Amino acid sequence: MLVDYELIRRAREGDGPAFNQLVAAYRKRILGTIARLIGRPEDVEDVGQEVFLRLYYSLDQLRSAEVFEPWLYRLTANAAYDYLRKRRRRMESRMADLSEQQVLLADAVAGEKIDRDESQKKRIREAVDALLDRVSEEDRVLLTLKEVEGLSLKELGEIYHVKENALKVRLFRARQRVLKAFTAAHKQAAGVSSLR
Amino acid sequence: MDHRNEIAGSDEARLDRLFEAYRAACPDIEPSAAFMPQLWQKIEARQGMSLVFGRLARNLATAALALSLLLGLAVSISGSRGSQLPSESYAEILADEHYNASLDFEPLRPAPLAEPR
Repeated sequence: MLVDYELIRRAREGDGPAFNQLVAAYRKRILGTIARLIGRPEDVEDVGQEVFLRLYYSLDQLRSAEVFEPWLYRLTANAAYDYLRKRRRRMESRMADLSEQQVLLADAVAGEKIDRDESQKKRIREAVDALLDRVSEEDRVLLTLKEVEGLSLKELGEIYHVKENALKVRLFRARQRVLKAFTAAHKQAAGVSSLR
Repeated sequence: MDHRNEIAGSDEARLDRLFEAYRAACPDIEPSAAFMPQLWQKIEARQGMSLVFGRLARNLATAALALSLLLGLAVSISGSRGSQLPSESYAEILADEHYNASLDFEPLRPAPLAEPR
């Protein structure tokens, strides 16, 4: 825990400065998580503010201060999920497939063939973002929390209110779908290359 | 079979490396100076909205109460004038009016035919 229970209790009772302190303690961590969940640094602050806005209006529903962090992660995952769903609706009319360059880059990264400078990092983000766009928002958020954020099954269980065994099954299936998309994109790019 | 497992295993490992690279490629986001002021603006905007809706709901409730009082009053006034108004239903009034009417109906007969010439 980054803050003590007393601060959470005060924020819950509507103490503005206590809420400010709470946000200040968690915002960097939450913004980092959002960045990895949505893959678009330019939209991170907006989603982050949405998370803390929801926190402000739902603090009174918090059962106890001990479950504050899973609660905050749950709000974060939900806000990211809502953002991704809206973005998908906006993007549906556009081309959502991975470009050949993105596939080749993802492939090279997976094969550890390149050094990474800033522009390459940006391209990696775009390639993984495009890859994860091929699966559902639920799969994307769950997998990112597990594989990229490094949350344990126990922590995920607290966020999703699901038993570990059920989570394992969902994670396995989500991973299989991403793998399938990864392999398909790779084959597609290989096919395009061989046509030239 | 072993070959297929090997390919699947290598794909899994490649995906792991891709996620690892993605994590490294995602920058640490420093919140801007406007983060907190904007957050409070959003909180206040929503509070304002809920105040407006709250006020609207209260006004609607008051209007509904006033209307039901008026209706109650109207019903009680019409109740007090009950003696001037018929207390029976339309069907009962009809039944009363025709009570004394003869129940012996003239049988319907066809019109007589013209005399044969």
